[in-house]
Amino acid sequence: MATQDKEKKDAKIIILATEACAYPGANSVGQAHSSYPANTYILRVRAPVLFPEDFYIDCFKKGCGGIIVMSCGEECPYDGAYHALAKRLDNVYKMMKEKEIEIKRLRLTAICTVCNRAFLKEVNQMNTLVKELGPPVLKEN
Amino acid sequence: MSKDNDKNKDDEATDINENTDANDTVEKIGVYICHCGGNISDHVDVEKVAESVKNIPGVTKVHTNSFMCSDPGQELIEKDIKSGSINRVVVASCAPSLHESTFRGAIKRADMNPFLYDHANIREQVSWVHDGEPATAKASILVKSSIEKARGLKALDVLKVDAKKHVLIVGGGIAGMRSGLDLAKQGFEVAILEKSPFLGGQASKLSRLAPSYEYAKDLIVELYTQLSKQNKVTFYTCAEMSSFKGYIGNFDVTLTREPSDAVKSKSKGEFVENRGIFIDNIPKETEEIAITIGAVVMATGFKTYEPAEDEFGFNKLEPVTTLEQFIQDYKKAETKKGILYLNNKKIKRIAFIHCVGSRQIPGIHEPDKNGNLNEYCSRTCCSSTLQAAERIKTTCPNTDVFDFYRDIRTYGRFQEDIYDSASEKGVMFFRFEPDAQPEVTENKNGKFPISIKTKDVLTFNEEIEVDVDLVVLVTGIIPNDISSMINMMKLPVGTDKFLQEVHPKLRPVEVANTGILLAGTCQAPMDITESCAAAQAASVKATALLYKGFVELDPFVAQVDTELCKGHGECLKVCPVDNTIEIDKVAKVNPALCTGCGICTAVCPENAIDVMGWSLKQYEKMVDAILAA
Repeated sequence: MATQDKEKKDAKIIILATEACAYPGANSVGQAHSSYPANTYILRVRAPVLFPEDFYIDCFKKGCGGIIVMSCGEECPYDGAYHALAKRLDNVYKMMKEKEIEIKRLRLTAICTVCNRAFLKEVNQMNTLVKELGPPVLKEN
Repeated sequence: MSKDNDKNKDDEATDINENTDANDTVEKIGVYICHCGGNISDHVDVEKVAESVKNIPGVTKVHTNSFMCSDPGQELIEKDIKSGSINRVVVASCAPSLHESTFRGAIKRADMNPFLYDHANIREQVSWVHDGEPATAKASILVKSSIEKARGLKALDVLKVDAKKHVLIVGGGIAGMRSGLDLAKQGFEVAILEKSPFLGGQASKLSRLAPSYEYAKDLIVELYTQLSKQNKVTFYTCAEMSSFKGYIGNFDVTLTREPSDAVKSKSKGEFVENRGIFIDNIPKETEEIAITIGAVVMATGFKTYEPAEDEFGFNKLEPVTTLEQFIQDYKKAETKKGILYLNNKKIKRIAFIHCVGSRQIPGIHEPDKNGNLNEYCSRTCCSSTLQAAERIKTTCPNTDVFDFYRDIRTYGRFQEDIYDSASEKGVMFFRFEPDAQPEVTENKNGKFPISIKTKDVLTFNEEIEVDVDLVVLVTGIIPNDISSMINMMKLPVGTDKFLQEVHPKLRPVEVANTGILLAGTCQAPMDITESCAAAQAASVKATALLYKGFVELDPFVAQVDTELCKGHGECLKVCPVDNTIEIDKVAKVNPALCTGCGICTAVCPENAIDVMGWSLKQYEKMVDAILAA
């Protein structure tokens, strides 16, 4: 089991938010002035299917506490991209297990342009988790 | 220039860094941080953010400004580019969807490639959700991350794609006709798709239109007369869209036309009451028509809410009708001794009940069978009701008119006059709370067939009982069911089920799918004036998109590094769009077909294919900047 550094409570959370759905969804949360933890960093992406498995593992290696992939789900404007993404994340989970990274640190979810509550729920849940676990320490292969 | 924090930031931009020693061959990044008039700077210490990035290698200019999107803000960027101080731009302000094109425009005006620019969202995703030191720290990190992305940006050229000067209008109502006429006058070919054999839509059911009181029929006939003189307009009536694919400039659409039994005896161009202008080209058998068009104007309109069984006695008590039906019946109404006769029935007393199927509240109103509530205001029905009430009192002064309302919203120009006139002529108003709606019951032994009870807010919740001959339910507007088109065209739909624009103020008639525009009540409840205004806006937008004969698309498509590519073809295996990638020793991408999803990037064993402007390498740099901070 990987050791977790409990001292650091503010491990950063990376959010990959799709340009068509989740990114405007995050803006909608802002328009509603609904607060959420500030250790969250939203990257606007066209489709998260762009990222290979290593991207996620490298993020954890660099100390990222959690990654939330906020996709468009079945409403993804890119044909086949969502299913390919889900498949890819399955591979990432396998790699995380091998490296003894808590798999809850990576979460795939669908957030629409007005899914304020869902966005806040996902962010708060991940924040609670990373506060509890601290930054990841990977098992060296 | 030295740091100058004493300047009044509301009046002038603050330039806190100028390093003109940078070598021209390296990246020279200008960073422009917006106060957004306090929207950002009330929660984020903008000057501190500027300080935190000014010494980053490659950053040659850092400015803050009250409104970076204002002319003076944009001029800062233009000036720095023209002076050679910068060759990359990072703007930190509101959501990029609002002003990305504004800043690209400024960069372009200064003769720099507009794609050498990145945008940090420090309003919606920082100052509006965080406060104090954490907000400032996060804003600094996001700007640093943008700087790292900007460092790796490459000049890109927009993609030019031939565009058909041919527009499809979906819906032959008043908005569709208005839009079609404007486009035809601009020299565009216009195809008007209408599912019925008639043009005119819901307006055909109306009578006189406030505030000018011309007949809706005359308006429709006038529009049709002008449309029929245009030789580039084709009417596809009795038709529905059966397939849709392509992209702006080149949408391939199939229309399926079906035979119809509708009033074949009528002649072409004749106005049929409550239905519209008859277009006499009904197909004898099912036919499919394929057309290629450059843009689409959605003018699919609305239908009125149908009350549920026994909602205010609807469909249970015969003297309960809807406003839509009442307006049609009133066209044939008679007056005897100052009393209204409708369908040969004497109407001595009539009541209108507002907000039926609009402004529904969870927990109070019953959802429909799909669990939906119409929580929005239908906007047009108050004025429409008051106009009807006022007309009755004008033509039939001996008929008593009772108006049961929650709120009166006569929002439009001259509409308050209708309310005043109705009041002056003796319409009696009762106000009810949403959780104490009027009760409509049968009045078996009374002089009048219907009894209405309510607690009148205007008289401090006094219980009122009114007996009437007819109850008119003021039913709201709901969008037409266009679910098949929504699926085919992947149209964005709001929680209210209307089609959703990109931004209500900045891009009010565009949807996210470029080349598809909105006109009229498919977007929201509107009256005819507003529908025609939206239709004309959509026409102008379509004209602006297509008039050159080509369209410029964002160049965010896959690009192959031919030095690295070994032609494995993994990209080809996963690409979802046919014919986008071909392998000829190395992979080759057709940019007009590539959607830029990046699915190919992740699978390339050589890292030889990436999405221009959104590359994996840039994301890695951004993540490094975030996690290293």
